[in-house]
Amino acid sequence: MEDDLLICRCEEVTRSEVEEAIRMGLRTVNEIKRFTRAGFGLCQGKTCGRLICDILIREADMAPSEVLPGTSRPPVRPIPTRVLANRVSKEDE
Amino acid sequence: MQKTEIAVIGAGPAGLAAAIEAARAGAQVTLIDENERPGGQLFKQIHKFFGSKEHRAGTRGVEIGVDLLEEAKRVGVITRLNTVVYGLYHDKCLGLACGDHSEDLQTQAIILATGASENVLAFPGWTLPGVMGAGAAQTLINIHRVLPGRRILMVGAGNVGLIVTYQLLQAGAEVVAIIEGLPVIGGYGVHASKVRRAGVPILTSHTIVSAEGGESVERAVIAQVDNRWQVLCGTEQTLEVDTVCLAVGLSPLAELAWMAGCRFSHVPTLGGWVPLHDQDMQTSVPGIYIAGDVAGIEEASTAMEEGRLAGLAAAGTLCHLSPEVGEIKKSEVRDRLAALRWGGFGEGRAVAKRQIIEARCEA
Amino acid sequence: MRVDVHPILGNAPTGKSIILLVDGRPIKAIEGEPIAAALLASGRRVLRHTARHGEPRGLFCALGRCTDCVMTVDGQPNVRTCVTPARDGMVIESQVGLGRWKHLPLEKEE
Ligand SMILES: Cc1cc2nc3c(=O)[nH]c(=O)nc-3n(C[C@H](O)[C@H](O)[C@H](O)COP(=O)(O)OP(=O)(O)OC[C@H]3O[C@@H](n4cnc5c(N)ncnc54)[C@H](O)[C@@H]3O)c2cc1C
Ligand code: FES
Ligand code: FES
Repeated sequence: MEDDLLICRCEEVTRSEVEEAIRMGLRTVNEIKRFTRAGFGLCQGKTCGRLICDILIREADMAPSEVLPGTSRPPVRPIPTRVLANRVSKEDE
Repeated sequence: MQKTEIAVIGAGPAGLAAAIEAARAGAQVTLIDENERPGGQLFKQIHKFFGSKEHRAGTRGVEIGVDLLEEAKRVGVITRLNTVVYGLYHDKCLGLACGDHSEDLQTQAIILATGASENVLAFPGWTLPGVMGAGAAQTLINIHRVLPGRRILMVGAGNVGLIVTYQLLQAGAEVVAIIEGLPVIGGYGVHASKVRRAGVPILTSHTIVSAEGGESVERAVIAQVDNRWQVLCGTEQTLEVDTVCLAVGLSPLAELAWMAGCRFSHVPTLGGWVPLHDQDMQTSVPGIYIAGDVAGIEEASTAMEEGRLAGLAAAGTLCHLSPEVGEIKKSEVRDRLAALRWGGFGEGRAVAKRQIIEARCEA
Repeated sequence: MRVDVHPILGNAPTGKSIILLVDGRPIKAIEGEPIAAALLASGRRVLRHTARHGEPRGLFCALGRCTDCVMTVDGQPNVRTCVTPARDGMVIESQVGLGRWKHLPLEKEE
């Protein structure tokens, strides 16, 4: 079925799951992300983010300018925590 | 903590041009890119560019890239490759991740030149190995010299779809067709006639219905659509392909600008959400500048000019240029930018850019 | 399927030939090329399987952004193979879902 279409490749969340969240009244990418996990994957919504915005625009009848992308948080690439924890502070020469 | 006067994030045409201009004015500049090689999208562009003479029409992107790199080295830009700017914190401090460790970099001004990300299209089978971005295919053939597949379907007839199709043919693949959902071809006529002459059909008002196969793509189903993107029953055809490339547009890659708290505007002609900026490419956050595709999807030539503008402006704010000299130089660049945003395609962008600048001034 | 000759780029630069151990099988690669490119050149397109439905995934963005190409490299899971250069003797394994640390059972990845 087309409704089983995967929207979030990382977390394997389908279009019908995202639509269900919208039917329940969620209107932001961040809320949908918390509820369905779409956008919570390793890529942090880089691939699915815009698709989720498009579904919101269509299903909730919102203007594109009303749909903000999900919040960007560091790290913006999947950097292992081990690397982030290994903080090197070089003094300026 | 390490310090630099100006950090330029992204070493594509915009970032390289920005770094060169700021360093030439006397600023201490650190240019950072996550890739092993600098150049951004430029090194994948093996075709001759269009545009005016000053903008090196007829030159291949690769050659422009080599020139910029040499110039950057000559004027003393510090280049840090294989380094991701993973975060942007208050007070213009950057978090860098490099190899097995991370570092902080304290800056006085930041130029974001992070480029764009490719849009995708979801359809049954779009997660199968063999479905990939057109940019991925271009990177594979032109940089890594490996074919993504033998028989390819290209989705999207904008410039990226047309150019990558031609490059796939040059690399020895077969492109079975280019399909385009709109009734018209989005890319430039020169590129369209080139692929047509090479025997690739361009099917407008067509979409991809599904990609099918066991462990990877073995075929794709396409169909005609009406003007509301509804598939017309009975027009489905199956194409024997092993690869489907998606060239369905680019969006500004503005994650760091969001993190910095910059104000944005939604501008469809420039690819979606774009950070507001003024005539100097400064965002709504003082000291943070943007240039290139992150400031709205355009072309390499405009990316370089915006980079120069941002570089001059940032160096000016840090008093490396007198206001008078800076203004003269910046207005030269603005004139060249205006000349580039001309004609059928450029006009719309010129208007959109003006709106961005006006919105920034009102903000 | 390598592009050895090219009308504009000319002949492919010759690099040092190395061996990668991929799921226990040796494959030839060129030193420094991304692991995913070497795998593709050797005819392998499936890089991992997903956690929920066990679906195959391969290279998608080739830019290090989509994370579809992650594999376990020298025991470290979730390595983006499209931006990780190949080195002689690397041990590369497919993973299911987010994978696990190998050889380091005490360390926990988020
Ligand atoms: C297939 C194709 C064909 C094209 N053909 C033409 C053409 O014929 N003529 C033309 O004028 N233009 C063409 N373009 C457009 C042109 O390539 C782009 O407009 C131009 O490259 C944009 O430059 P940029 O510097 O803004 O971004 P990019 O070239 O994309 O560079 C951005 C760089 O920033 C890096 N980066 C991003 N985020 C981070 C981070 N957090 N930390 C570290 N580094 C980061 C990226 O990895 C990248 O290297 C084409 C584009 C494509 C995709
Ligand atoms: S595709 Fe949704 S988080 Fe990666
Ligand atoms: S293919 Fe997208 S991260 Fe490697």
